[in-house]
Amino acid sequence: MFELLGQALIDIVQWKYLLPLFVGTLVGVIGGSLPGVTITMTVIVVLPFTFGLDPLQGLACMTGVYVGGSAGGLITACLLGIPGTPSAIATTFDGFPMARNGEPGRAVWLGVWSSFFGGLLGGVFLILVTGPLAALALEFGPWEYFSLFVLALAMVAGLTEGSLVKGLLSGAIGMLITVIGTDPIMGVPRFTFDSPFLAGGFPFLPVLIGVFAFSQIMSDVEKLRQPGAATTAAARPMLSVSQLKVIGEILTRPVLLLWSTIVGIVIGVLPAIGGSAANMLAWDQARKMSKTPDRFGKGTPEGIIASESSNNANVGGSLVTIMAFGIPGDAVTAVMLGAMTIHGIQSGPLFVSQQPKLAYGIYAAYIVAHVLMVAVIAATALLLLRMTRIRLAVLAPVVLTLCVVGAYALNNTMAGIYVLLIFGVVGYLLVKGGFPLAPLILGLILGDQIELNLVRSIMSDPDPWLFITRPISGGLLLAAAISVALAIWQHLRHRERQAEAEPDF
Amino acid sequence: MSKTMVRLVAAALFLTATLPAAAQQYPDRPVKLIVPWAAGGDTDNIFRPFAPLMQKHLGQPFVIANVSGASGTTGAREAKSAPPDGYTVYAVHDYIHSVYYVGITDINYWDFEPVCLISATPSVLTASAKTPWSDWKSLLEDAKKRPGQISVGATLGSTSHFFPALIEKAAGIKFKYVSYDGLAPRMNALLGGHIDLTDSNLTQKGKVDAGLLKFIAIASDQRDPEMSSVPTLKELGVDVSFEVSRGLLVPKGTPAPVRAKLEDACKKATAEPEFAKAMKLQGTQARFLDANAYAAFLKKNDEVNKDIARDLGLLKR
Amino acid sequence: MPGRDGIAGLICLAGSLGLLAVSFGLPQVPLVPVGPGFYPRIILTGIALLSMALIAQDWRARRALASGQESRGGDAVSRAGYGLVLLSFAVFGAYVVLLPLLGYRIATALFVAALQILLEPPASWRGWLLVPLVAIATAAMTWLVFERYLSVLLPRGTWTAW
Repeated sequence: MFELLGQALIDIVQWKYLLPLFVGTLVGVIGGSLPGVTITMTVIVVLPFTFGLDPLQGLACMTGVYVGGSAGGLITACLLGIPGTPSAIATTFDGFPMARNGEPGRAVWLGVWSSFFGGLLGGVFLILVTGPLAALALEFGPWEYFSLFVLALAMVAGLTEGSLVKGLLSGAIGMLITVIGTDPIMGVPRFTFDSPFLAGGFPFLPVLIGVFAFSQIMSDVEKLRQPGAATTAAARPMLSVSQLKVIGEILTRPVLLLWSTIVGIVIGVLPAIGGSAANMLAWDQARKMSKTPDRFGKGTPEGIIASESSNNANVGGSLVTIMAFGIPGDAVTAVMLGAMTIHGIQSGPLFVSQQPKLAYGIYAAYIVAHVLMVAVIAATALLLLRMTRIRLAVLAPVVLTLCVVGAYALNNTMAGIYVLLIFGVVGYLLVKGGFPLAPLILGLILGDQIELNLVRSIMSDPDPWLFITRPISGGLLLAAAISVALAIWQHLRHRERQAEAEPDF
Repeated sequence: MSKTMVRLVAAALFLTATLPAAAQQYPDRPVKLIVPWAAGGDTDNIFRPFAPLMQKHLGQPFVIANVSGASGTTGAREAKSAPPDGYTVYAVHDYIHSVYYVGITDINYWDFEPVCLISATPSVLTASAKTPWSDWKSLLEDAKKRPGQISVGATLGSTSHFFPALIEKAAGIKFKYVSYDGLAPRMNALLGGHIDLTDSNLTQKGKVDAGLLKFIAIASDQRDPEMSSVPTLKELGVDVSFEVSRGLLVPKGTPAPVRAKLEDACKKATAEPEFAKAMKLQGTQARFLDANAYAAFLKKNDEVNKDIARDLGLLKR
Repeated sequence: MPGRDGIAGLICLAGSLGLLAVSFGLPQVPLVPVGPGFYPRIILTGIALLSMALIAQDWRARRALASGQESRGGDAVSRAGYGLVLLSFAVFGAYVVLLPLLGYRIATALFVAALQILLEPPASWRGWLLVPLVAIATAAMTWLVFERYLSVLLPRGTWTAW
C-alpha cells in the first residue's frame, strides 16, 4: 500500500499531472473565495475542461478544485466577514472578529493551516478506510443499497432548516424527475407523451447544473439594483505573521483538531450532508467542549481551527464514499463522479482493487493539493480579495456560458442545453417557493438507483420482509426511521417554542 | 438585413461552398463518432483505441462522443438525425436489432448505411465464486433440479439477456433474470454473490485467475488460445455460439465517395497490428468486413435476433 | 386565498394526481414482476400526500394569521429585481434558441454581450468598449480551449455553418 502511494506521489508531481492539479487548486481557491460562487458551481464550471484530459489528469484537476474550494472560502470569511462558500460560514464567527481585532494575518493563517492539517488527517482516513469499506460494499446486495439510499434521503430531508414537509417534497420531486424518460429496466417510455425530447429523460448533470447555477446567479441578479449592494472596499490588510507560531497554536490543541476532523470525516462519509453542515457542527462541538465557551464568536482561535479543519476533512470523507460505494454523497461529489464516468472509470466496490494506479493517484493528488493550496493562498490572498469585486455583469454571462458548454459536452446534444434552461427556471422557482435544494439534488442523484435496486430485490426474491430481516438493510432502515422521527420531534419542539413569537414559517 | 435574408445568403454560401467540394475534400474537419454508451463500457473500450487509428488514415481528428441513455437508443436517434455528410459516424453493435424487436425504439439498421465491421467479442458464461458449481455439468444438474431459481444478471432485451436465453433453450433449463445494466454493475453483483451467473467476456480473466469468478464456457466455435482451459459450449453439447459484433454505420444518404473513404480508412485501421493488440486486451478479435459483406451480415443478424426475441416472448413487431 | 406554500402544494397535488392517472396506463412487461409503473406510483402517492400536508399547514398558518396584519414592506424593490431576472432568463432563452442556428462562436459572443448590457448598462465609452471585448474573448477562448485542446466539438450553426 505504501509502495503504491509512494509511486503515486512520485507520478503526481510530474508536470503532466502537477499542472492540472495546480490549476484545479488555484481555480478552487478562487471559486471558493468568491462569495456567491460555491464549490459545487466551481466544480461544474471546471468539469467540461477535464473532458479532453487523460483520466488521472482530469481527476487530479477536480480533486484540486474540491480541496482548494473547501479552503478558499476562509479568506473572505476572515477578512470581509462574508463566507466565500457555505462551508466557511462558521469561520466567519471567529475569523472576522479576530481580523478586526487587528490580527488578520493570524486569522487567515490559522484557517489555512487548520485546513491543511484537517485535510491531511482526512487523507489518512481516506487511504486506510476506502479499501476495507469497498470490501464491505461488495457484500451490499440490492436490499442494502435500497435501504442506504432511503437513509440518505431521510437524513437530508430531516436536516434542512425550515419545513420538513417541504424537504421531503423536494426530495420526492427530485426522484420524480428521474422517472421521466425510459424506465431503467426494460426501456418502457414513462410520462414522455410521445415527445422525442422527453424520451431521453432528463440527464442528471444538466439538471443539476441548471438548478444550481441559475438559482444562485438569478438570486444575485435580483439584488443587483438594490442600493447598498456594493461591497465595502477593504483597506489592504497586513497578512504577515509568524507561521511557526500559528502552526504551534493549532498543534497544541490536538484534541480539538482531531475531534473537528472526525466530525468532518463522518459527515463526509454519510451521504448527502456536505461541507456546509460539517463546519457548523464542528464549531458547535468545539464550543461545547471548550472551557471558555463564552469566547466563541469573539475571535477565539479554537473556532477557526474547528471550522476549517472539519470542512477539509469532510472532502476526504466524501471521497471515501464515492470511491468505495460508487454513489455520490452530494452535489459536488455527484459532479466528481460524473467526471469519472466521462473518463471511463466505473467507480464502485471494485475501483480501488482494479484501478489501483488511478485510486492511489487520486489519494496522491488529494495530499499534494493540500500543499499547493497553502502555497496558492500564500501567494494570492490579497489578489483574491480584489477578485471578489469582479462585477456580476461580467461573471454571470461567463459562468452561464461554461454551464452551457458543460451541459452540451456531457452528451454532445442540444437536448442537454434545453434541459439546462428548463431546470434553471424550475430551480429558481423552487428556491423562491422556499423549497430546499439539497433533498431535490439527492433525489435526483439517487432516484434511478433506488428504483433499480428496489426492482432488483423483487426480481431476486419476491419476499418483501428481506428489507428488514437482512441485518445491514434492516439496520439502515431503522436509522432512517429514527432520523425522520428525530426531525419531526425537533420541528415540533422548535415550533412550540416559537409559536407565539413568529406564527409564519 | 432581415432574418430570412441572412438565412438565404447563409444557405446559398453554404451550398456553393460545400456541394461540389464535399466529396473530394472530405474530410476537412473533425469527424464525430457517436458511441451510444457511457465511457468505460466495453463498446467504449473497443472504439477508444480504434479512434486514433482511424484518425491516422483519415487525416482528420476522429472524436468519440459518448451519447448514452435509454439502452443505447438515444445515441442511435442522434446518429440517425445527423446530416448525412460523413462527419457523424455511429458505433454500433448487435443491440440495434434487439432493441428494435423488443420495442424500445423504432430505429433499426436500415436507417443507416453500413461502413465496416471491426470486431467480434465472444460471450463467456461466467459464475460467481460463491456458487457450488465447478463446471457446466454440475451447473446443468443443479439447474434441472431447481428450475427458475438460478439467477442471471442481464441488461434485459439486450445481448447479455439473449445469450443466456439461448443457453436456456438449447439445454432445456430455466433461469431467473435480474436486471443489471452494463458489465460493471453485473461484475459487482457477481462478486458479491447477489447473482449466480452472467454473460461476460475474456476481459474478466484477471478475476478468474484470482479465484473471484468462474468461467463456465465460452460461446465461440473454438477455444481461445489465451484461455484454453475454458471449454466451448458446442463441445459441451450446447449448440450456442454467440458473439457481440461491432461496426460503423453512417446516416442514410451519405454520398458513396464519402463512405468509400471511411471504409478504406477503416480497413487500414483494423489491419494495424496495434489494433489487434488492443482488441486482445478486450477479449475481442479484430474482424474486418467491408461495406457489402457487413450489409449482408446485418441482414442475417437481424433475422436471428428477431427469432430470439420471438422465442423469448419479447417480440413487439 | 391560499398563500405561497398553498399554491405550491396545489400545483404539486394536481401534477402528481395527473401523472398517477397516466401511470396506470403503462404497459406490463414480461420477466419483471412489477411493471414500469410500480416505482412512479410510489413516488407520486408520496408527493400527493406531502402536498396535502403542505396545503393543510398553509391553511392553518393563514387562519392563525388572519387576525394579525399581513402586508410586508420592500415590495417595490423586489419587483424591480424580478423584472431583471425575467429579462435575464429571456436573454438566456434566446441564446439557447440561436445556438444551433448561429453556431457556438457567434451565439456565445452575442449572449455574453447582451447579458452584460442588460445587467449593467455601460455608462462610459470605456464600458462600451469592454462589453464586446469580454464577449469576443469569452467565445474565442472557450472555443479554442474546447475544440482545439480538449477535443470537445461544440455546436456549429445550421444557418452559418460556422
